[in-house]
Amino acid sequence: MKAPASIFYRNPVKFRMPTAENLVPIRLDIEIDAQRYKDAFTWNPSDPDSEVGVFAKRTVKDLKLPPPFVTQIAQSIQSQLAEFRSYEGQDMYAGEKIVPIKLDLRVNHTLVKDQFLWDLNNFESDPEEFARIFCKDMGIEDPEVGPAIAFAIREQLYEITIQSVVSVRESRLSKKGRRGGDYTPISKGGAVAVDLVKLFGQKSSVIRKRKEWDVYEPIVDLLSNEEVDALEAKEERIFR
Amino acid sequence: MATKSPTTATEPPPSSSAGTPPPPLPPPPLHQPQPAKPDAPPSEPKLSATPDANVILVPSHSRWFSWDSIHQCEVRHLPEFFDSSSKSPRVYKYYRNSIIKYFRYNPNRKITFTDVRKTLVGDVGSIRRVFEFLEAWGLINYHPSSSFSKPFKWDDEDTKVDSAEPPPPPVRETAKRVCSGCKALCTIACFVCDKYDLTLCARCYVRGNYRVGVSSSDFKRVEISEETKTEWTEKETLNLVEAISHYGDDWKRVSHQVVGRTEKECVAHFLKLPFGEQFLGSAVSDDGCELKQHADESETVASAESNKRMRLTPLADASNPIMAQAAFLSALAGPEVAQAAAQAALTTLSDVYKSTRINYRSLPKNTLQQDAGVASNGGNNSDSLQGARLNASLQLEKDESDVEKAISEIIEVQMKNIQDKLVHFEDLDLLMEKERQQLEQTKNMFFLDQLTLLFQKPSAPKTGEYPQGNHVKTTT
Repeated sequence: MKAPASIFYRNPVKFRMPTAENLVPIRLDIEIDAQRYKDAFTWNPSDPDSEVGVFAKRTVKDLKLPPPFVTQIAQSIQSQLAEFRSYEGQDMYAGEKIVPIKLDLRVNHTLVKDQFLWDLNNFESDPEEFARIFCKDMGIEDPEVGPAIAFAIREQLYEITIQSVVSVRESRLSKKGRRGGDYTPISKGGAVAVDLVKLFGQKSSVIRKRKEWDVYEPIVDLLSNEEVDALEAKEERIFR
Repeated sequence: MATKSPTTATEPPPSSSAGTPPPPLPPPPLHQPQPAKPDAPPSEPKLSATPDANVILVPSHSRWFSWDSIHQCEVRHLPEFFDSSSKSPRVYKYYRNSIIKYFRYNPNRKITFTDVRKTLVGDVGSIRRVFEFLEAWGLINYHPSSSFSKPFKWDDEDTKVDSAEPPPPPVRETAKRVCSGCKALCTIACFVCDKYDLTLCARCYVRGNYRVGVSSSDFKRVEISEETKTEWTEKETLNLVEAISHYGDDWKRVSHQVVGRTEKECVAHFLKLPFGEQFLGSAVSDDGCELKQHADESETVASAESNKRMRLTPLADASNPIMAQAAFLSALAGPEVAQAAAQAALTTLSDVYKSTRINYRSLPKNTLQQDAGVASNGGNNSDSLQGARLNASLQLEKDESDVEKAISEIIEVQMKNIQDKLVHFEDLDLLMEKERQQLEQTKNMFFLDQLTLLFQKPSAPKTGEYPQGNHVKTTT
């Protein structure tokens, strides 16, 4: 789907997370001596670097992990932060981007499946707030689901924004090269921008078609212990 | 594979939890520990020997905490939530309240930062700071212990206070008691605070060498030599009482009679007996002397011990040495003895006073009566004298009290007067302020008008030059 040129080549904006708070999603997956530590949380990049060390030590102490984890955790966080900061100086195109966000996660006993549209242009958006309201509305009791949802949204937004930075770089390259107008994004991510004009033209209404209701309805399931174990075993196999 | 890790199926999956999953909380704190429970922290630490889920201990230096409001010290310590535009106080309150609810859901355990941050939506840096703030102020992970942990450093957030370590409870049942303050063996008497499991020797108690939140009234005096070493049986007590009634003051003989008890123990135990004074009825005549005797005995015992102690320990409160001595003596001797001594002192004082007053009053009375006595028979004079004297003294007392009451009432009324005047003046002040402000405003308006007038004046001759263009520039 080719977006109209005027919208696409708008003024570039400095890279930042398209959310109200410029927070970075950090994912950790460290394995030392057959002990695996997986975690995911959001980090504030404006925190001083000393925070990383403090956080790593605290986490290792709280979870009673062996000491080699401290350096590994700190390193992993630092490298992800550095990556984020490397994007920070660059430009990205805001564009008229309404992207679909998909949630498909399992936290302890709760399974969440959902799909919705998110406006990348809205720099005041707040995945945390969305997660809070989602949990409240769906009556989710497990308090760990909220942060997981917020993290999922944030991660997807992060990837999309990275792609837009990359695409800016590539478009600049291609501009230097041959033609300026005929541009096709080389890197295609999972999320394709939805063209609002096409979807909600003059004829159709804003209300979704009935057959699409099921697609966009959130599903929250509570699993029993056996199901949880089965799923985990499957995931381990996939990981292996 | 030592650790469990829930992961997801396809898309960029967030997986939370690491290591061992947190202690299972099926109805987690989101369920609002019922408001029926005294959830709000009490304004002062409550007693809880067996930590009940219904009673939450909060150190008294944190009594400013309330669920709905944010206190100054929170703003001071965590300015990031209140200064910047991105984070709001609402977010701070959400973090703080959820962390505290999480802790109070099961106050016996110690919650870790990692448990909490998994349940909260937001960036981990600020959650960690809120967590450390709450832990430093004892609002979470607060398990009062008998150890005197180092004083909290309020201005240094980064130092983690390990006040949460609950050390093993102080040795209670054995005979030996170690003071939690100076780590010395408690001998004669010690002071036990049940609320915090503190044990202090007499020195530390008097010196005030206890923790921040504990007040001196929380302590209970516990004798060591009597209770913990050996208990007085009924027989022994009876024996003791008999001996005392025989020998009265001679404690040597009493201790000989009561097998296996030293003089000191006899004395101390006798003083502790609930109606000890009554048994001594044969040896003494009236109450005043009896009490005085007890006081004297106790004083001698106490002074003997205090002499010993004074050689060993310097008294800490040099600023008021007399008060320190008195406090120390009374602490050593025990509350009953101190009370007895005080009572005795009071009664004798009042007796002395009465006698002096009577002496004083008797002079004019005597002259009066003498005059009357000259005229009448002498036989009935003494009785009527006595009666008159009594009546006069009673009347005098009544008059005095009336006068006192009247004076205090007058003072009250005067104070009320003054207060009303103050309020009135305050109102006047307010009015003055308002009027002044109004005046300022009118002044400003006037100034503005003047300005516009001035600006329009030069434009007036201009319009005269160009008669066709009537450009009236409105400059304001």
